[in-house]
Amino acid sequence: MDWIIAIFKLLIFPGFGFLFACAIFSEWFDRRLIARFQGRIGPPIFQPLADFLKLLGKEDLLPTGVNEKTMAALPIISMAACLTAAMYIPVAGTSAFAFEGDLIVVLFLLSLPSLLYFLAGWSSIGAYSIVGGNRALLQFFSYEVPFLMALSGPAILSRSWTISEIVVQQTVTVWGILVQPVGFLLAMIGLIGKLKRDPLDIPKAKSETVAGPLTEFSGRKLAIWHLANQIQTVTGIFLLVNVFLGGGVLNQLLPTTFLFFFLALLILIILSLTSAMYARLRIDQFARLGWKRLIPLSLLQITFIVWMGRG
Amino acid sequence: MSRIRIPIGPQHPLLKEPLSFLLTLEGEQVVQSDLRIGYVHRGIERLSQTRSYIQNVHLFERVCGICSHVHTTTFCMGVEALSGLSVPLRGLYLRTFLCELERIHSHLLWLGVLSKNMGFDTIFMYAWRDREVVMDLMEELSGGRVSHAANVIGGVRVDINDAQRLTMTQNLNTLSKKITSLRNIIDHEQSFHARTRGVGILTEEQIRQYCIVGPIARASNIDVDLRRDVPYGIYDKLTFSVIARSEGDVWSRTMLRIQETQESINLCLQILDSLPPGPVAVPAKRRVPPGEVICRTEAPRGELFYYIRSDGSDHPARVKIRTPSLTALAILPDQLKSINMADVSAIVSGVDLCIACADR
Repeated sequence: MDWIIAIFKLLIFPGFGFLFACAIFSEWFDRRLIARFQGRIGPPIFQPLADFLKLLGKEDLLPTGVNEKTMAALPIISMAACLTAAMYIPVAGTSAFAFEGDLIVVLFLLSLPSLLYFLAGWSSIGAYSIVGGNRALLQFFSYEVPFLMALSGPAILSRSWTISEIVVQQTVTVWGILVQPVGFLLAMIGLIGKLKRDPLDIPKAKSETVAGPLTEFSGRKLAIWHLANQIQTVTGIFLLVNVFLGGGVLNQLLPTTFLFFFLALLILIILSLTSAMYARLRIDQFARLGWKRLIPLSLLQITFIVWMGRG
Repeated sequence: MSRIRIPIGPQHPLLKEPLSFLLTLEGEQVVQSDLRIGYVHRGIERLSQTRSYIQNVHLFERVCGICSHVHTTTFCMGVEALSGLSVPLRGLYLRTFLCELERIHSHLLWLGVLSKNMGFDTIFMYAWRDREVVMDLMEELSGGRVSHAANVIGGVRVDINDAQRLTMTQNLNTLSKKITSLRNIIDHEQSFHARTRGVGILTEEQIRQYCIVGPIARASNIDVDLRRDVPYGIYDKLTFSVIARSEGDVWSRTMLRIQETQESINLCLQILDSLPPGPVAVPAKRRVPPGEVICRTEAPRGELFYYIRSDGSDHPARVKIRTPSLTALAILPDQLKSINMADVSAIVSGVDLCIACADR
């Protein structure tokens, strides 16, 4: 019966079905909240699902000269990476699968979509896509290093690279954010860069590069890219809740569930607020910010944590 | 590094109207830009020769959607000068009122477009929401939000009563507070500064060389405004200050236009306050005595120039329009050299082009 449970975990909870529902909800909540900040009303609850279904039904064109198999594979691998990463992230205290050192695997898997995004731009061989892809890669180098260092802070403190272990350690001591607030800030900035949200949606800046690397995608492929981005949002938020906010773990299952989703919603609110509040940065400004300010900050944070952990 | 050619336009999310740039990029640096215009050329000057003066008022409103009223104002001023008509005071007041309302709506539209092109959607939504107040005022006055058909040769065809005057005054006062709060946001928002300060600098020398007019010139220390220097209509009866700044970058153009919006709101309140009673138009003859006239007004984008020659019939012999956006277009290829690709959107939006005006 093990394999039935495994299939349930992969496809229903906390696998594809659950993540799909969370992705739809988080996109709706995000769009609705940003709309309210901007003085608009915002879309109804079924809008993201309707968008997804509409895209699935649209014509799937590709320019001549591109490698069709590559273009078809990239969004699928991107989504597969996000879904696999989600398997190791605890939801309300329990994860589908866990093993020693799964934080490293999750971080690796979550960095794949950005690289595949660049590859999508490169394979599309159009001018807009290539410029967007270049920017995506430059942005990747600027936020990924601080993000990884910020997320290794809790691991060093808990003396373990397993996410479930980090969560347990936080229930015994204190939440990560209280000990390393700078790390949490860097992780949030890294998450905004990773998800390519305003103010760091530089690669897909509509006013400059039409749609960036995804300009030539349409129909089913675009639907899967979009869904992968949403699932990456949800996965990233869950990761941050587990690593910095103690996974919302309390003594019993029901309060844990409530707290976990409440904290996830809180992080989503912060993401929506920063989307509405800032203008888009220029790529060289963000690269400068990343290397001149974020990386030294993350080094300081790591030094502080190592010093604290010695005592 | 290899060069990539990126087309901006004719259809592009950055542009409101069709315009074609071909940018040559090396990495993220623009090394060259080629410009093509004419995508919205409708031959309006030629069409005007086949229509009577009365029909031409209708035609010239459609040169541009954003500054439609000031085009008909300038044309009607020219024909009234040729015919020796003198528009009654109330008509002049209402004409100027709509001109200033148009200036406010144009600047708010532009602010929204600039912010959206820089990724700052929130300001776009706020500015266009506040613009709705102005659109409602224009609809109250003339029946149309965008094209008003308010001018006739000899005056205006619209009028307001006292109750409308009161509500308009109240709405304008509310709008004034909203513009102040919008200005506060932009003053304090660091990411907005980072995208606009020091970007697209134009020196006084370049402005004089290219004959650029309007807010772009005033933002580079050239203090010229036809409303004060060559007063037309009733501008000599109103008090207002002309804003001039000296930085010459997109930031100073933004602040200048916001300050001009506040000045225009003051002008509108003055006009509503001192609206004289009386008729709003005098009857005009179909045929205009022969002669030629040059008519200049201060459109939202700068000096609007009309040359009208009549030969005594009821069709104009020649109407020549020089719109302010044409000069701004001329300098754009020069401005788009050796800059960052991301600054292209700030510069092109900061110049506030109206391609329909430029192409006619």
